[in-house]
Amino acid sequence: MRIYDMDKKRYVEVTKVDNPTTKVEQLSHALYCYENEIFDVIYDKAQPALKAHVESFGEEFLKQDEMQFLYFTSGTTGTPTGVYKTKQNSKKQAWALIDTLPKDMKFNRIVTTVPFVHIYGVDIGGVVPKEMDIDVWVKENFIPEELAVEAEVEGTLIVTTPLFIKALNRIKKDTKFKNSYFLTSTAPLSPDDAKEFKERYESSIMQLFASTETGMMAYKVDDETILRAYDCVEIGESDNMLNISSPFVAKKILNETIQKVEFPFQTEDIVEMLSEHEFKLLGRSSNLAKVAGKRISTLQIESIVENLEGVECALVKVRKDEKALRDEVLDIYVESSEEIKSKDLKVALKKVFGSMHIVFKLYNNMIITKSSVGKKIGFKDKK
Amino acid sequence: MITTADLKVKLIDGLGLEDIEVDEIGDDMALFGDDGLGLDSVDAIEITLIVEKEFGVKIKDAGEESGVFSTPNTLVAYINENK
Repeated sequence: MRIYDMDKKRYVEVTKVDNPTTKVEQLSHALYCYENEIFDVIYDKAQPALKAHVESFGEEFLKQDEMQFLYFTSGTTGTPTGVYKTKQNSKKQAWALIDTLPKDMKFNRIVTTVPFVHIYGVDIGGVVPKEMDIDVWVKENFIPEELAVEAEVEGTLIVTTPLFIKALNRIKKDTKFKNSYFLTSTAPLSPDDAKEFKERYESSIMQLFASTETGMMAYKVDDETILRAYDCVEIGESDNMLNISSPFVAKKILNETIQKVEFPFQTEDIVEMLSEHEFKLLGRSSNLAKVAGKRISTLQIESIVENLEGVECALVKVRKDEKALRDEVLDIYVESSEEIKSKDLKVALKKVFGSMHIVFKLYNNMIITKSSVGKKIGFKDKK
Repeated sequence: MITTADLKVKLIDGLGLEDIEVDEIGDDMALFGDDGLGLDSVDAIEITLIVEKEFGVKIKDAGEESGVFSTPNTLVAYINENK
């Protein structure tokens, strides 16, 4: 297995890299750690608040025996959660995925558009080709036309996101990807988009249903609506919400302290169970938005808005725009003594989320309505 | 010939750049990064789609070497050369 740097047009070694910044460096270092069973903490260092949070623990505290990786997520309350993985967790997960790939296709390389700062990038874009012993091709910035050229090459397994599937649907390209196969992450990809892609390019997409906390749970192909759990993942339901027991989940998790993970692990995904291994995803129970592939809490955004001068109350709603490439748009309703400017909010968001581009629409001059116990329940125009 | 003003109007509209006027985007302002307009890699993909749809020009590579995406000027030059 080798890493091919598409920008520099050369193969690079799997090696230790201090402070990796490019995708190639991130992957090289993560695989070096995986091969040599060296513990590594993986997160997006471009997010200032997350970086400060992780660094506040200190390296010695984070390092745990037998653990391979510690991934960080934004978490459901705005406090990042650290999720440990053993090497066996990642390896079993990789093979569960490999076993579900079409048996009549032979893959000789993986092309990936994703960064290696989270579990999807490292575990799927890195560990899977490592276990399959095939090359992985990495490019810092892909545009749809470039990905289309790579997808035309026979035997290519593409690890990407729904954003690229939607973008490929929108370019004018008369070609087929008959001998390639696409894997995408969990972000919304409508059955219509998946169907259009299948009909137009004669290629299939496997959508992986996963999260940092649970690892991969289930998958579906093309425009299917029913998710199938991996054979070794036990699924159940409690109060309509999915819970799982999985060999891809380690027994430790880091909140403010390191805690033991109890099984079954309760997710916040609202589901309809169809059989022992099949379910439909109906939605999410918490106030989470998906921005640039990361789940962020709308409560955290509200808190940032409410810290702006003159703001009395803010309410954030998540709006899905099926036609847009971006996952979700935030509608931000503000009750304040004076109008808030988008520019000021952007500056405040940047302090927390760094360069992550959060798309929002700001509604000033609102009154946020609350329930008798103070819960925000809606908004109305001040006028 | 496409002008930088034509491009900026389409970018503001297509990328949903709230609160930004055409005059606030300099012809040589960096489109990406903290010192410029602050666009990101998803915006780059959006831009390729906007340019193809609005001006009928395909951008075939991310152009790290040629710097197509660097500024409004470089992007307009690419569009006019390939139209």
